[in-house]
Amino acid sequence: MTDVSAPLPDEFRQAVARHATELEGFARDVHYYEQAGSTNDLAAVLAGGGVPEGTVVLAAAQTAGRGRQRRQWHSPPGGGLYFSVVFRPRDAQVGDGDAGALLVAPQTSLLTLMAGEAVADGISRATGLEAALKWPNDLVVEAAAPACVSAWRKLGGILAEASVEGERVRHVIVGIGINVRPAAYPPEVRDRATSLESELGREVDAATVFAACLAALARGRSDLVEGRARLVLERWRRRAPSAVGRHVTWEGPDGPWHGVTRGVDDTGALLIEHEGRVVRVVAGDVLWT
Amino acid sequence: MNLDGIKEILDLVREHDLAEFELELDGLKIRVRKDSPVHFMPAPVPATPSPVMVAPTVAGPAGAVALAPEIAPLGDDEALELAVVKSPMVGTFYRAPEPGARPFVDVGTEVAKGQVLCIIEAMKLMNEIESEYDGEIVRVYVENGQPVQFGERLFAIKAR
Repeated sequence: MTDVSAPLPDEFRQAVARHATELEGFARDVHYYEQAGSTNDLAAVLAGGGVPEGTVVLAAAQTAGRGRQRRQWHSPPGGGLYFSVVFRPRDAQVGDGDAGALLVAPQTSLLTLMAGEAVADGISRATGLEAALKWPNDLVVEAAAPACVSAWRKLGGILAEASVEGERVRHVIVGIGINVRPAAYPPEVRDRATSLESELGREVDAATVFAACLAALARGRSDLVEGRARLVLERWRRRAPSAVGRHVTWEGPDGPWHGVTRGVDDTGALLIEHEGRVVRVVAGDVLWT
Repeated sequence: MNLDGIKEILDLVREHDLAEFELELDGLKIRVRKDSPVHFMPAPVPATPSPVMVAPTVAGPAGAVALAPEIAPLGDDEALELAVVKSPMVGTFYRAPEPGARPFVDVGTEVAKGQVLCIIEAMKLMNEIESEYDGEIVRVYVENGQPVQFGERLFAIKAR
């Protein structure tokens, strides 16, 4: 379980250089590991040490990759892209206390939606594959045949973790896992998982996907802090057909509730019509039925 | 300054309908403030807001007073030493990092400033809520997995 750091491979260095004008300082510093426990953990340590926003931890493999509630995120070598990005309240690093509030809300509530949209956009720009989003930020490909075991196959996932003291957000680590090749996931989940190469039927340059995702994250970040959250939501909605008019089940206050999705509001909360009224859902598992 | 003195201040604040009152005396700083509008979340205000808050001074941005920890209305003598940690957001409260794991803290746990107390999930962002105090957890207000509102009480800490 040792973290093995190494110089950033040339193809990643070149891909970042090609996107330099769009990166807005993101990926200026990429910490590369041939093997890491969890890129989110490494990025959190770096963030605690004061590294600037946009610092990235990239690993060729993770031994303890995780998703929500520490569910295992399979991260074998040669399978996927695993990287984490440090976000900070703007100006927090120069000691301007009030600026911290910029990221508290509504921007933080939209940060995870923004990240999902950005990764989908990066994948689209780098490969042409149009991934869909399932609220709030699962990257999925909708299965063509209705007879499939699952209507969606998961292409990637995002785990965002914030460090909060009082009402001040110190940093948010956005961890991203993208299945590049089928080797990224265990065979037993192949009905529910997919990869870039499986969908496209050809080889994919992971380094270009990486740089394009970071460029999209940098743009989304600017949109959120410069008052263009509306654009982030518009882009997100275009990629999330399942957020409108689909049947879902989720954990209500007294057991499972059923309803129909009615879009997301401006804070990113999922609206679900349940027994004639619309409920805002901000957390928990929502299952599309 | 004793408890009676503080009660007197509270009475004065009520009597004169002051929105805010601050007093610094012999190293003790007291701030009394009536409920202010919720700044950020368009979510329902907690059902039982305290009409008046007595907040120990907290280091941090001047703008961040909306959630200044209040003094828990528990025992008389203890009242000044207890800080209540409130939820800075609407979300789901988790006491442990994963289902079945040991809670981050429990009643009786000694905590240090910066130690993670719980996770509140909102929009799939896992917010690790850190203690602002060195002290002992004396109360846990919310059950694991329950939804919490903005400003809802999470823990009481007997600060050292």
